[in-house]
Amino acid sequence: MPRWINFAVFLCTALGLGCTGSIGPGGRSGGEDVVNDGIAKGLCVVDTPIRRLTRFEYNNTVRDLLGDTTKPADGLPPEEEVAGFNNQAAALTTSDLLVEQYMKVAEDVSGRAVQNMSALMPDCDPELDGEELCASGFIEDFGRRAFRRPLSSTEAARFKTLFDWAVADADLGRFEDGIRLVIEAALQSPSFLYRAERGSETPVEGDIVPFTSWEMATKLSYMLWNTMPDAELFAAAAADELETEEQIAAQARRMVEDEKARDLIGNFHTQWLLLSHLDSVTKDSGVYPDFRAGLRALWKQEIQEFVEHVIVEGDGTLATLLTADFSFMNEELADFYGEDVLDSVTGSEFQRVQVDPTRRAGLLSTAGLMATHANLNQSSPVFRGKFVREQLMCDTLPLPPNDLVLVPPELDPNKTTKEQFEEIGANPSCAGCHSLMNPIGFIFEHYDGIGQWRDEQNGKAIDAVGEVVQTEDIDGSYDGAVELAEALAESSQVRECVASQWFRFAYNRTVTQDDSCSIEQLNQTFAESGYDIKALLVGLTQTNAFLYRRAVEPAPSETGGAQ
Amino acid sequence: MKKLNRRAMLKGTLFGGTVAIGLPMLDAMLPRTSAAQAGAPPKRIVFWFTANGTRQDIWSPPASMDLSGHPLHSSLSPFSQKLIFLDGVDQDVAYDSIGDGHQTGMACVLTNSEILPGGLFCEGSCDSGNARYVGWGGGQSVDQYLADEIQKETVTKFKSLELGVQVRSSTIWSRMSYSAPDKPVPPREDPNANFTDFFSDLDSDPFALRLIQRRRKSVLDAVMDDHAAFERKLGYEDKQKLEKHLQSIRDLERRLEVTTAFGEACTLPTPDLPGGSYEQNDMYPATGRAQMDMLAMALACDLTRVASLQWSRSVSNVRFNWVPQRLDEGHHGLSHFGDDNQDSQADLLEINKWYSEQFAYLLGLMDSVQEGESTLLDNTVVVWVNELGKGNSHTRRDIPFMLAGSCGGHFRTGQHIDAGGEPHGKLLVSLTHAMGKPVNTFGEPQYSQGPLGGLT
Repeated sequence: MPRWINFAVFLCTALGLGCTGSIGPGGRSGGEDVVNDGIAKGLCVVDTPIRRLTRFEYNNTVRDLLGDTTKPADGLPPEEEVAGFNNQAAALTTSDLLVEQYMKVAEDVSGRAVQNMSALMPDCDPELDGEELCASGFIEDFGRRAFRRPLSSTEAARFKTLFDWAVADADLGRFEDGIRLVIEAALQSPSFLYRAERGSETPVEGDIVPFTSWEMATKLSYMLWNTMPDAELFAAAAADELETEEQIAAQARRMVEDEKARDLIGNFHTQWLLLSHLDSVTKDSGVYPDFRAGLRALWKQEIQEFVEHVIVEGDGTLATLLTADFSFMNEELADFYGEDVLDSVTGSEFQRVQVDPTRRAGLLSTAGLMATHANLNQSSPVFRGKFVREQLMCDTLPLPPNDLVLVPPELDPNKTTKEQFEEIGANPSCAGCHSLMNPIGFIFEHYDGIGQWRDEQNGKAIDAVGEVVQTEDIDGSYDGAVELAEALAESSQVRECVASQWFRFAYNRTVTQDDSCSIEQLNQTFAESGYDIKALLVGLTQTNAFLYRRAVEPAPSETGGAQ
Repeated sequence: MKKLNRRAMLKGTLFGGTVAIGLPMLDAMLPRTSAAQAGAPPKRIVFWFTANGTRQDIWSPPASMDLSGHPLHSSLSPFSQKLIFLDGVDQDVAYDSIGDGHQTGMACVLTNSEILPGGLFCEGSCDSGNARYVGWGGGQSVDQYLADEIQKETVTKFKSLELGVQVRSSTIWSRMSYSAPDKPVPPREDPNANFTDFFSDLDSDPFALRLIQRRRKSVLDAVMDDHAAFERKLGYEDKQKLEKHLQSIRDLERRLEVTTAFGEACTLPTPDLPGGSYEQNDMYPATGRAQMDMLAMALACDLTRVASLQWSRSVSNVRFNWVPQRLDEGHHGLSHFGDDNQDSQADLLEINKWYSEQFAYLLGLMDSVQEGESTLLDNTVVVWVNELGKGNSHTRRDIPFMLAGSCGGHFRTGQHIDAGGEPHGKLLVSLTHAMGKPVNTFGEPQYSQGPLGGLT
């Protein structure tokens, strides 16, 4: 349950401004738009609306379906972005432009695909085996992979009609033209573009149904790989071996060890850690002569390689993500970090390096995050505190009042940033919320506006002590980010927050009240594994929320489809 | 711009032999386009968006309408007799709506409707969450209303064209056009793709064009059959979502046969396309210019009657490092300083002056397209909108609305009107009248009782 911040503690009586946010991972459950969220009997089940492939998923899917690695979906309109993620079912809408671009992308992809016919149909040669046979075989095989289930006879006939039309057309006429049109139509079909799971016909309880093995294969592959099922998942689906929790967990365990899990891990962390903000970071070159645009990509790569390594090759724990004394750098980046890097690095390849454990710890103290959550010409205790509270602790903080003029303080050569922000934070109208953010930000004051270590500022020693308040379990005073990182790594609030972020990302929707038992299952799995992210991913396949849905009710006025 | 190379004679394969076809026969074979070949030129409407308010204190024109010495608008001086400056028009509905200043300003400016409740966007610029959430905009926007109405009688190649310059992600802060409540319309942001999408017809062999149309029709027919079967298996809400998708396919198919009209002024534009860098901050001016070049030509070619050009988005943080002061701080950041901060006021002057120069560039392009006795600009109304009046206070009162072009003589241009606090919904009503698709109210009725006075 969300714990609402106790206003009275902070209420500024003069202006009536308190901090009306909420604390903890439950805080995001505001008003999510889901269908059928009534009360289930024994199982807690919340249905996810159909969702169309994101651009990322589309690119991965045509890569695996047709070997097309051109990322053709990059030119589609961007996904609607809500609650920090771009894959939220309730927000993904369609538009005329999107549909027009789907058509053009499908034309391009299919055009490339038929350049290599033997790759499309390795086992059938139209000259030897006959065009009819190869076309029908292709439609059945390709159709099953594109729609992620066997085609109905009507669907197969529809594709065959299209093929025949193209082959009979005076200006098209070639076998390849027919195949191309089949691909083109399949890529614009809702069965390709959308994920819709109806569930099986047999309820397990009341109107609650499990999913068919074909549906489960798709659910697993898009959740754990952000792409279509591989041959093994399809084989399991065809054999109806994705029914029991054990069967599903076994697949999930295989999948998180697969290379393709890297796509998912990269995608999640890019969004969770707001890494896209890094692309537009800019700094005042007068204050930070070391800053150059080329650093952005290095900063980002450091975080991505570190996260991938920890989760895929390393121990996979949240604690390591938050407290590791190693990172990944090339020579240029290591030079930027200076003496914080204990190994010598040469060349442009990124490699694992030990970092000074008294100065750096895990993700939070990376230069990329420190520079992103900073101002043009100085660090920002506000932004850094806000980032920790929102992304790691799942607190929600309200915006300052609408009419407030918000500007960072002018640089004062006689004061430290902390001193300046302490003055602002002392203003009673600001203190309500800023006492939640600024002190956490002060703990990061050893990192300047571009994330480089500093022992002093304007001739004064850095004071990186901050008092963390209003948390579930890490209230107290911390000196420096290394100390804070240790505490965050042990915090239930942070652990539950990370689990709930994964929940939203993986299930394409926000957490609702009816998800309480699924959340509990997830938190328990995470805890039992010693907070291992891979175990959390497997756990995501074992919740009620993942395993069941309510049977589809017929629409109120069934019109029988398109008029 | 180069004049389109019209092929006088075309070669193709017909009944097995090579034949040459003269143009008259070709014309008979190709479907007629929407262009009014004779009679009055069509009316068009263009919405032009810039963000974060303006310098309200210096925005208005002098009584003489002589803009030559104007701090913001001197570049508009050649067009002063074709402009209407509107002071005192407020976004009243934004104050009733849920949502923060930028959200309401953006979602209400063309809809005059309150934002829908929902769990999608937190109020404020929070990155990940806030206690109060809102949904998408709550009404159809006036551009989309007009596009729908116009299409009932004239099918243009595009129902409407939404162009964007570095709008980037899709959120309540970045969408002003809505095809219906809850249905935001994304702009086309890649000038390179736009060039192909808009103008490839102009340079294609008509036989190749016909083939593309035939193929697309066959594929889309199959896709639509597939939709019908797919939808039958869905629950109500999901079905609604798919139905919208299906409508878009139907609409796309309907437009396949419309090819670009070859007209006197319709030529293949030669914009400087920015290539893959169109999303980079420093390419903002170049990307905008390419989009303007294509927008003007799209209108001259009658590809559509309704268009918009959206520069960035509300809360725009574009860094104007090409204006004389070379601003390294983002626009939104600068817009938050107090009115008494001389530096930021000077910076905001530069930013808004630059936008005015871009506006003048587009008007210049449009005014150079002759359509009979008048120009494309005369037959259009270009409506400059902003989500705010002023950035630091987030006021949605006294929004700097400006009209350019009389929309075929409907508006009495060359004037400055102080509406004295009228709701902006009345301006939207006026625009429907100008386009010959009049409504009595638009969006929230209490804020749109009839057209705005003094415009005609």
